[in-house]
Amino acid sequence: MRISRIQISNFRNFNAVDIKLGENAVIVGENKIGKSNILYALRLILDPSLPDSDRKLRDEDFWDGLTRPLGEEDLIRISVDLADFEDNENQLAVLAEHLIEPEPMISRLTYEWRPLPGLEGDPKKDSDYEFVIYGGDRTENFVSYQVRQRLPMDLFPAMRDCEGDLMRWTRSPLRPLLDQVAGEVEAETLEKLADKVNVSTAELTEIKEVKAVADAIEKKLVDMMGKGQSLQTALRFTPTEADKLIRALRVYIDNGKRGINDASLGSANLLYFALKALEYEQMVADGDRDHTFWAIEEPEAHLHPILQRLIFRNYLRPRGFGQRKTIKTSSTVLMTTHSPHIASVTPLNDIVLLKQNKNGSATEAVSTAGISLDTNDLADLERYLDVNRGEVLFAKGVILVEGDAERFLLPVLAKNNGYDLDELGIAVCSISGTNFYPYLTLLGPNGLDLPFTALTDFDPRKPKDGKDRDPLGPNRVVNEMVRALIETSTWDDNEFEDLLNMAPELGVFMNSHTFEIDLFITGLSSQFLEAMETTSSNGKAKERIKELAKTPDLLQQPFEESTQRFLKDIDDVGKGRFAQRLASILEVAGEKNCPEYILKGVKYVAEKSQLA
Amino acid sequence: MSLRKASLHKPSYILKAKDLRNNEGQWAAYNSTGHCVLLAGPGSGKTKTLTIKMARMLTEDVKVPRGIACITYNNQCARELKRRLKTLGVDDGNRASIGTLHGFCLKHIVLPYAQLAKLPKTYPISIASTVETNSIQKEALGKTIGIENRWDIRFDAYRRTILDRESGEWRTKDEDAAKVIEAYEGILDEKGLIDFDGMVLIGLHLVKKHEWVRKSLTARFPILVVDEYQDLGHPLDQLVQCLCFQGGMRLLAVGDPDQSIYGFTGAEPALLRKLSARGDVEPVELKLNYRCGKKIIQASKAALAESRDFESGHEDAGIVYFKECSGGLVDQVKYVCDTIVPEALLRRKGRGLGDVAILYLDKNDGNIIAEAVSQKDWQFVRIDGNNPYQPSPVTYWLEDCAAWCAGAWKDGNVRLSELISRWLAFNERLDSSLQHRHARTQLVSFLFKHRTPDMKLCDWLSKLLKHGLQETIDSEPRLRDDKDKVENLLKVSSANGKLDTITVAFFGGQGGSPDHLTLTTLHSAKGLEYDVVIIVGLEQGRIPWNNDSEDTLREKRRLFYVGLTRARHEVHLLYSGWCKNQYGRRFNNGRSQFVDEVEKSLIDE
Repeated sequence: MRISRIQISNFRNFNAVDIKLGENAVIVGENKIGKSNILYALRLILDPSLPDSDRKLRDEDFWDGLTRPLGEEDLIRISVDLADFEDNENQLAVLAEHLIEPEPMISRLTYEWRPLPGLEGDPKKDSDYEFVIYGGDRTENFVSYQVRQRLPMDLFPAMRDCEGDLMRWTRSPLRPLLDQVAGEVEAETLEKLADKVNVSTAELTEIKEVKAVADAIEKKLVDMMGKGQSLQTALRFTPTEADKLIRALRVYIDNGKRGINDASLGSANLLYFALKALEYEQMVADGDRDHTFWAIEEPEAHLHPILQRLIFRNYLRPRGFGQRKTIKTSSTVLMTTHSPHIASVTPLNDIVLLKQNKNGSATEAVSTAGISLDTNDLADLERYLDVNRGEVLFAKGVILVEGDAERFLLPVLAKNNGYDLDELGIAVCSISGTNFYPYLTLLGPNGLDLPFTALTDFDPRKPKDGKDRDPLGPNRVVNEMVRALIETSTWDDNEFEDLLNMAPELGVFMNSHTFEIDLFITGLSSQFLEAMETTSSNGKAKERIKELAKTPDLLQQPFEESTQRFLKDIDDVGKGRFAQRLASILEVAGEKNCPEYILKGVKYVAEKSQLA
Repeated sequence: MSLRKASLHKPSYILKAKDLRNNEGQWAAYNSTGHCVLLAGPGSGKTKTLTIKMARMLTEDVKVPRGIACITYNNQCARELKRRLKTLGVDDGNRASIGTLHGFCLKHIVLPYAQLAKLPKTYPISIASTVETNSIQKEALGKTIGIENRWDIRFDAYRRTILDRESGEWRTKDEDAAKVIEAYEGILDEKGLIDFDGMVLIGLHLVKKHEWVRKSLTARFPILVVDEYQDLGHPLDQLVQCLCFQGGMRLLAVGDPDQSIYGFTGAEPALLRKLSARGDVEPVELKLNYRCGKKIIQASKAALAESRDFESGHEDAGIVYFKECSGGLVDQVKYVCDTIVPEALLRRKGRGLGDVAILYLDKNDGNIIAEAVSQKDWQFVRIDGNNPYQPSPVTYWLEDCAAWCAGAWKDGNVRLSELISRWLAFNERLDSSLQHRHARTQLVSFLFKHRTPDMKLCDWLSKLLKHGLQETIDSEPRLRDDKDKVENLLKVSSANGKLDTITVAFFGGQGGSPDHLTLTTLHSAKGLEYDVVIIVGLEQGRIPWNNDSEDTLREKRRLFYVGLTRARHEVHLLYSGWCKNQYGRRFNNGRSQFVDEVEKSLIDE
C-alpha cells in the first residue's frame, strides 16, 4: 500500500497543495517551509497515538493568507488517497468502505476542521469549531479509530533520544522482539541454559579476589546502616530464572565489545531504525496492524554522509535505477530531510519539493511522481542526482549546460557581469551531453517547476557529398527542449520556426557556433592566449591562437581549417582543464565580455529565481 | 513450568459449545469449515447453534479487521442475535454486521458503491417513506393500467421474483405487473428516491455486475450468515450465489423450508432445498425438537402431510384440545377468555399471561379478539396489520426506552449503553465526536428525568420529540418511513386515539413481558414460543381456501404447522364449522380439513 496523493487546504503554510506521491515520500525544502507540517497534517488522519485534543486546531493553524476574522466558509481540509491495497485482504477490509475509485481501487480519508454546523453567524473562537474525519468523500461516513489502529502512522521526531530509548528497557524497540521469541522457545531449553549460567556465575563469584570485592561492599553497607538494613548485594550477570533469560539479552556493537552507551549517536540512531523496522514488520506479520506509515523527521541526524547515502540508497531503493517495479513492503516511509546525501539517492518518484509560491504567501509542493519519462531517461536522471548530490533539489534556480567547460566558466562570466550565482542560490549543472529532454521535463512546469535556463550550442554541420546539412542546435531546441516544456497540443499545432522563436521565453538559449568559439569572438582572445600558454606545451598551438587573436572573425567560418584546428588544440589540452584555467584568468581580470546568449540566460534565471 | 502464553480466560462460547456435543446436527454445524446449510425444524435449538457457531467463527476463523455479515429476516431477529452474541462473551463490536437484507444492501453496497458505479441515482440517496411510496404507486397505476385498479401485492412479488429484466419472461408472464413496476421505478428514480425493494435490487445489481464490489465485500466479510433463508426469496438467493459461489465468501445458511410461509412476497422453500443439495455445501439437519410435547409434534407432522423424521427432545407428552363453538368467532373468543385461558393459567404453577398466545388468521379477526380481551382487563401485546401503531426500528427503540424508564433501569433488562448506541446509529448526520457527545447527553438527561412508569405515553413521547427525536426524524433521510410511524404513534396515543389511555409502562411492555398476553396472526407468530397456544377460526374455506392450488395449499399447511409448533405443552384448536365471506354470506363447509387430519392422526396413535 502507498499514499498516492495528499491534498491540504488552509493549513499552516499551505493554502492549497495537491501532491502526487510514488512509493515513499522524501520531503525536501528550506527551513521553515513547512516540511514538518505535512507530517503533522498526516498525523491528524493516521496517527492513533495523537490524542483527539491535539486534533483540535486553533486560529493560528489556519493559513495566514485567509482574511481575519475567519468566516463560516473557511475550513481546514486535509485528505490522503491510498492506493495499491486491493490485493491485501486485510487492508482492503479496512479501506473498502472509503473508496473513491473502483478500478484500480483508491480510497480517501479526509480530516476537516470546520465551524460547528448550526452556528449562528461566523465562528468567533476556537470552540466554535469541531473536527471530523470521514472516508470516501461521504461526509457522513465516519472514519473510526480502527482505521488508524490498523494503518497507523508512527512518528520519529527530529529531537529523538534513540540512545535513551535503547537503554531503557521499557521503551526499547528490542523488547517486543525478544518478548515474541521468549514466548516461543521451549521452556526446557531455557531451564537448562539458566542452570549453566548459574553454575558459571557461581564459579566466577567464588574466585577469591571477586568474592573479596563482594564482601567488601556488603561490609561497607552493614557499617553504614547496621545489620538490620542489609541490601543483600551480590555480584552476578543476569537474572537466572529461565523466563527472564532471553529478556536479559542486550545489543552490543563492534563484535560484542561495546555496549550501546559507548556507541556514537549515529550508531545508536542506526540501530534504532533497524530494530524499529523489524518491530513494524513483526506487528504486521502477527496481525496487530496491516501497514505502517513511518514518518521520520531528519533521519540524517548524527549520521556520516557516507552512511546516509548507503542506508537510504538501500532502504528506499531496493531496485535498480529508474525501475518502477513495486516491491511489496509492509511499510511506507515518509521523511523530511535537509540532507542532499539522502535526497540524491531518493528514487525520483518519491521526491516532494516544498518551496515558496510566486508571491511568497504560501508554500507550494511539487513532486515528480506524475511526470512521464521512459525508464532510460528516468535512470539517467536518478544517476545524475546521485552523482551531483541532488544539487538541483536544493537550488533556487538552475542553469543547465552541456559540459564541464560551461560549468567551470559560467559562474565567473556571470559574476563579472554582476550575478553572483552562489549568492543567488543558482546551480550550474552539466548534463554531459545534449540529452536535455529528461532534465527539462524534471525542471519544467510539469515537474519540479523550478526557475531554470538551458544553454545549448548551435552546432553547425559540414556539408556532406556536396549537400548542405542542417545545424544540430535548432533541431535540438525544438524537438528536445521546447517539447519538454509545453503542452503536446501546443507543440503539435505550431510550425518549427514558431517553436524556435518560443524558446527564449521558456528559458532556452542557443549560441551561434559552439561555446568556445562564441567566447573567443566575444573579445576574450587575449585571455584564451594566456590560458593556452599556461596549459599547453605545444608551441604551434600557442602560435595559432596568437594568429587567431589578430583576426578572431576567421572563426565565423565553421568549416575552415583554422576553426577546426582551434577546437582541436583546446581538446588536446582537455576542454575542462582549459576552461578551469580560463576561468581563473577571467576572474582575476574581472573581464566583463560575455556572449549574449549566456547573459540572457543568466539574467532570465536570476530574475525568475528572485521572484520565487 | 511453561512459558507459553496460557489462555487463562476462555470465551464463554467454548463452555456453551459443550451443550451442542450431544446433538449430532448441532455438533456438525459447530465444526463445519466450508459452506454449510443448517436445516433446522421448530424448537431444534437453531438460534443457540447459530449464535455459538457465529461466536466461534468470529473468534477463530475471522481475524481483525475482517468480519462477518449476518442477514436476518427482520430487525427484531437482528436484535435478538446481537443480544445473544454479547452473552457469549463475544464483543460483536463492528465485526459482526447483523441486520436485515435491506439494511445490508443499503449500508454495505448501495451507499458506498452506487455512486462509484455511476448508477443513475441522485446523491445523497433518500429513502421513500410509506406515504411517498403509496402516492407513487397510485401515480404509476394512473400512468399504466388505470387509477381504478388497486396496487396488488402480486406486483411486488413479481418485482422480487423475476430479476432478469432483459428476459422474455419479465415482459410476458404478467404484462400488467411489468408495466406498473417499470412506471413505479421510473418515478422513484426521477424523484431521487429508493424504496425497500429497490435497495435490495440495486445492491444485487452492483454485486452481479462489478467484480470490485464482490472483492470489497469479501474482504470485509469473509463469512456470510443468513438466518431464515426460506423467507428471503430470490434476490437474497442470487446475492448468495454471487458472493459465495462466484466470489469467495463462505456461507452459513440457516432455515427451515417447512416454515416458509411468505409465498405471496416471492419466497420459495425450493430455493433453500436446492442450496442444501449443492455438492459444495455441507447440509446439516437438526431433527430433535426440544420445544413441543410429543403429541404436538405428532399433530404438526400430520398437518404438514409430508414425511418427516422429527423426534421429540424431551419427555413431555403435550396435549391437543379440540373445541367447537357454534356461534362463530365471537363465540370462540368468549370461550377462550372465559374458560381456556383461566383454566390454562391454573393448570401449571407459575404460568402467567405471558406464556399464552392467541393465534388467528387475519387482522380483522384480531379486532374482534382485541375487543374481547380488553373487556377482561388483561394486558396484551398485539402483532398484526391492525396494530394501532406499526413497528419500525425507531418504534422498537422507543419501546425499549419506555421499558427502561418503566423500571428496566433498576433490573438491567434494557441497557442504557445499548439505547444510546442505537440512538447514535439513527443520527447519521452527526459526524463528529462533539455532536455525538451532545446527542448522548440530551438522551440520557431525558431518560433520567422521565423514569415515570405511570406517565401517559403521549406526554412522554411529545417530550422526547422535543428533546431531539423530532429533529432527528425530520432530518435523517433514512428515517423517513420511521417518521410517519412515530408521528402516527403520537396520534393514536393522544386524546381520542386508539391508545389514548396507555402509559409508559404498558408501552414498554410491548417488546415482550411476562405479564402480557400475546395476540398474533399465524404469520407473525413465527419464531415465537409459548406454553399454551390457542388457534381460533379454523374453518374450511378460510384455512385452506376452497380454491387453493396445490402450491398454496401446501403453504397453508406450513402456516398451520408453524402455529402448532409454537406450543410447548398445550394446543387449543377452535372452530365453528361455518364461516362468512366478505359480503356476509354464510358457508357451512365444516371445520378445517387440517383439524380433521390432526385429530385422525392422534386417534390412530
